[in-house]
Amino acid sequence: MVESIIETNGLTRSYGDICALKPLDLQVPEGEWLSVMGHSGSGKSTLMNLVGGLDRPTAGSLRVGGEDLLALSEDGLARFRREFVGIIFQQHHMVPYLTAVENVMLAQYFHSVPDEAEARSALERVGLGHRLKNRPGELSGGEQQRVCIARAIINSPKLLLGDEPTGNLDHKSTVMVMELLKELRAEERFTVIMVTHNQDVAAWGDRTIYLDDGVLVREERMKS
Amino acid sequence: MKRLLRAVGVLLTSRITSPVVIGIFLIIYIVIAFFTEDALITQMELTRRSVVLVALLALLPLNIAGRIVAEIRAFIERRRLMYGNVAGSDPELFDETIEIAISPAFAGLRERLDVLGYRTRQTEHNLTAWQGGSIFPARQLFLFGVFCLFVGIFISLVTRTSYRGPVVEGVALPAPSGSGGIVERIRLEKSTGRILSKELIMEVAPSGKGDARTECGIYPPTRYHGSFVYPRFLGVALLVRFSAPDLPSAFEKHAILNIYPAGKEAPLEIPDSPYRLMVSMADPGDGSDPYVTGRMVFTFKLLKDKEVVFAGNVPGGGTFARDGYRLAFPDFRRMVITDFIQDYGVLFIWTAAILLGASFLYWLPVRLFFPRREMLFVRQGTDMIRACSRAEGNDRDHGGVFNEVLDLLDAGRAGERN
Amino acid sequence: MVAVKLIPHILSWAGIVLVLLRGFPGRRSVVTLTSISGFVIGVVGTFTLFRSFPGTVVFGIVTSALGVVFLLIWGISVASIYRSTGRGVTFLWVERLVNTSLCAGMVAAIAGVVAGAVGICRLPVTDKTVLGLSLLVPASGAVAYAVAYATLAIEKRLPKSFAVSPYGMPTAVAALLLFSSSSILRLDLFSPLSMKVMKFAHDFVHQFMESMLIPDHVFIQSYLWRYIGLLFGKEIGFWGGLFIWFTPALLVLLAGQFERLPPVAHIRQGAQRRKILAAAIRERRFRLVIPLISLLFFVAAAYQSRFPSVEYWDPKPIVVTATSSGEIIIPKKGEVDLEDGKLHKFLFNRGGKDARFFVLMGPAGQLTVDLDACAICKPDGYGQADGTVICYYCKTLIPLETVGKPGGCNPVPITFAEKDDGVHIDALTLINEWGNTVQSTSKIKEGGK
Repeated sequence: MVESIIETNGLTRSYGDICALKPLDLQVPEGEWLSVMGHSGSGKSTLMNLVGGLDRPTAGSLRVGGEDLLALSEDGLARFRREFVGIIFQQHHMVPYLTAVENVMLAQYFHSVPDEAEARSALERVGLGHRLKNRPGELSGGEQQRVCIARAIINSPKLLLGDEPTGNLDHKSTVMVMELLKELRAEERFTVIMVTHNQDVAAWGDRTIYLDDGVLVREERMKS
Repeated sequence: MKRLLRAVGVLLTSRITSPVVIGIFLIIYIVIAFFTEDALITQMELTRRSVVLVALLALLPLNIAGRIVAEIRAFIERRRLMYGNVAGSDPELFDETIEIAISPAFAGLRERLDVLGYRTRQTEHNLTAWQGGSIFPARQLFLFGVFCLFVGIFISLVTRTSYRGPVVEGVALPAPSGSGGIVERIRLEKSTGRILSKELIMEVAPSGKGDARTECGIYPPTRYHGSFVYPRFLGVALLVRFSAPDLPSAFEKHAILNIYPAGKEAPLEIPDSPYRLMVSMADPGDGSDPYVTGRMVFTFKLLKDKEVVFAGNVPGGGTFARDGYRLAFPDFRRMVITDFIQDYGVLFIWTAAILLGASFLYWLPVRLFFPRREMLFVRQGTDMIRACSRAEGNDRDHGGVFNEVLDLLDAGRAGERN
Repeated sequence: MVAVKLIPHILSWAGIVLVLLRGFPGRRSVVTLTSISGFVIGVVGTFTLFRSFPGTVVFGIVTSALGVVFLLIWGISVASIYRSTGRGVTFLWVERLVNTSLCAGMVAAIAGVVAGAVGICRLPVTDKTVLGLSLLVPASGAVAYAVAYATLAIEKRLPKSFAVSPYGMPTAVAALLLFSSSSILRLDLFSPLSMKVMKFAHDFVHQFMESMLIPDHVFIQSYLWRYIGLLFGKEIGFWGGLFIWFTPALLVLLAGQFERLPPVAHIRQGAQRRKILAAAIRERRFRLVIPLISLLFFVAAAYQSRFPSVEYWDPKPIVVTATSSGEIIIPKKGEVDLEDGKLHKFLFNRGGKDARFFVLMGPAGQLTVDLDACAICKPDGYGQADGTVICYYCKTLIPLETVGKPGGCNPVPITFAEKDDGVHIDALTLINEWGNTVQSTSKIKEGGK
């Protein structure tokens, strides 16, 4: 039996009177690709932020990779984010005056120490061996997102979070990025949680959950 | 016996032998410094006289020689490995060595290393890759320099002999060999160089030994009949005639007076009398140097016990007479107080300075801009590869490449699995 | 007031105990107990020595012990740099020995003895009776116990990352001991070190020039000789002294920085490799903290030595004249009281030449007349403080007991006669002696040749 990498029990997040995530029970087995769908304000990003250690829940329990995130100190949470989680956003959030390889090295620096050879190798893996010295502004949207993938996986995370990573891409680029993620997951065996509006993107996952007004309303397992 | 030889071998090739020996001499210096003000001179004298200390001092060049041999052997062995002339590898010669299973990616490894800017060579068993220049020549120059330095200090301390004598115009050079040629002329000239302010040339005629005419300068010192000629002080050889009313006979002497530059006084005792002369060269006042021009006027003070009888000036060749006293300087010649030094250690120390300088000039750019980085992949049987890596600089970058290459081999193996 | 004087010494010792506790992890009880015992033995032993021997001897013993400590850390620091830079250079058996209880106990005991000895030297030991001794044992024991256990409590609260390497530990211990001793004029090590360095520099440059057959200053361009002349000035002693003073801590710092990172080629995940390297680099950085702090203590010790808080007794010289028979007569109870144990300076002028000298009554009750100059240094003169006179040029301390004896940096003694009407000095002898001394020491400026 595959162990759960994420386990939530009555996970709740409120902002004042507004309850962004209502008590949620969720298990994600290790290695699964989970798509999270829902309208704007449905609690998708809140869930992702909580699971990624970017935010703390108001109530309930949350275990990720065996760690009780509620029990972790700020330093512990920072270490958890550094070593356990890789995140890809809709916007690339790269440093504009650094090259692609330097942007990846920056992620290494915040994790441990930079290693140019490894960063170069990671970019080659995402098909950007010829774009190492280009700055983000000189790359297409698809290429930028591939740099983000290289940056997200460079520290060998157990959990990869995607917050609308293909939201700004055309169909062709979206397919390329998703195929790349699929390949990498097969090699690295990390767990993926992908927040998206797009049913086609969600279909790349093993399972999709639907949130509405902070409540898990539906769950759908994809055919492999 | 075998164990003893091994211990001697370790002693001679160990990196810590020299620092320990230097430490012992330092401690001896400190102990001596507690008891005497001239600690360095005392220590040199003590070392010269003690067989144990001489042996300890000799250990320094021997240890460096041992290091030279050991490091050349290691270099040759590594080079043979890198050239693929021999199979196998010695982990001692590298920073990191690991064994990894042969993967399909090994076939493309050379190409990958070429792309990464390494020069490569592949033989049946080995794949080698390298970048940059080795600091081995600089290291060897350094070791040879230190060897020469220690040998020089050793020879100088144990064998140096020194003889001091006045070199006087028209008189045979007082070389320790006893058969120096006649000093025809001593010239002192202004130098235009950056280091020396004056040039001193002592022209020596051929001696009875059949050698050629020699000109002895200041630096580098000339060698004469096996000795370095080391001019120390300038002065005048002055023929002094002196008579006084209360002296039974006149006094005459070729006096060697250390009276350069003009104004510097030197005493001249009149034996068996209460008289003493204080002599100096008078400053001509026109900026010229009497030693250079040869126009010398001597200032003198005649003292009887502690009282000055009279004082005055006498030009070279002139006479001064008063109240029955008569003082004449009928002959004067340029003179140089010179040390004749037999010391082959000096040659080694000069060589050491050149070698150490050359070593630094080679080491600095190589180490800063293109240090040597090497990788060696050796097939171990049919299914394993031994990978070795070594860097003389930029270790982290090179380590990154080495690890990446190993990852590639590992990924290749994964591909094989899939 | 006495207790206030002791505070820096007790804090230094507490620092030593703290460093030892961290340097010998797992040997807390051994380190604490031997530290306390060592400290008490140091205090009581030195007190006993003061009862039996003249102060000069006791100060000499304690200074020698400090000198040996300094030499030891020199050796240790060189070993550390060899270990971290040289391939195949290991001191495994030494490192194994260091981790034993025996070694921990010995180091703590020795450091305690020296720290205790230094501390007691700060006190004016007036009560040399057995009663004094019997009071000292429980008092020093109680202080040592309280301080050691307070330190132990602090050590337990310090973060784990505050690690002390086997090389940083002795450096810190030595730095704290030297910091502690540098505030006591007669235990100061830096000034005599500077003086010895100055002497060594003179001798070495002289010997080097002779050995390499380098011509005398007559033949050298004057601008160049000015640079060579720097090697003969007193500043070379200070800077050379600083170099030797700081080198052990700097070498240990560099050794930490040059330490090779752990091998990671066997790990096939980049992030894991980098994590190990990052941890090693972080650990290496933490290990630099102690040598850095030690360096600060060395700086403070050198500063205390260079600018001691002691005020020197340095009276303005009184002008004296000679009688018609060529004698200078200074009455014992005249303008000054020659027998008050203080340095009294006089100035004599004849034929435009000055001679400066002083009269002093030593601790043994004997008057002595000396030039205000020594046979080595430029005649900058002497000041008096804390049982010593100090040569202003080279900062050497001369115990009052040895003033009047010739040699070294001692003031040059002058023959005199002590009569009922005062001290009689031959004016000609004085002028000649001054002239000869000043002429010979001025050679230092000309290059010692």
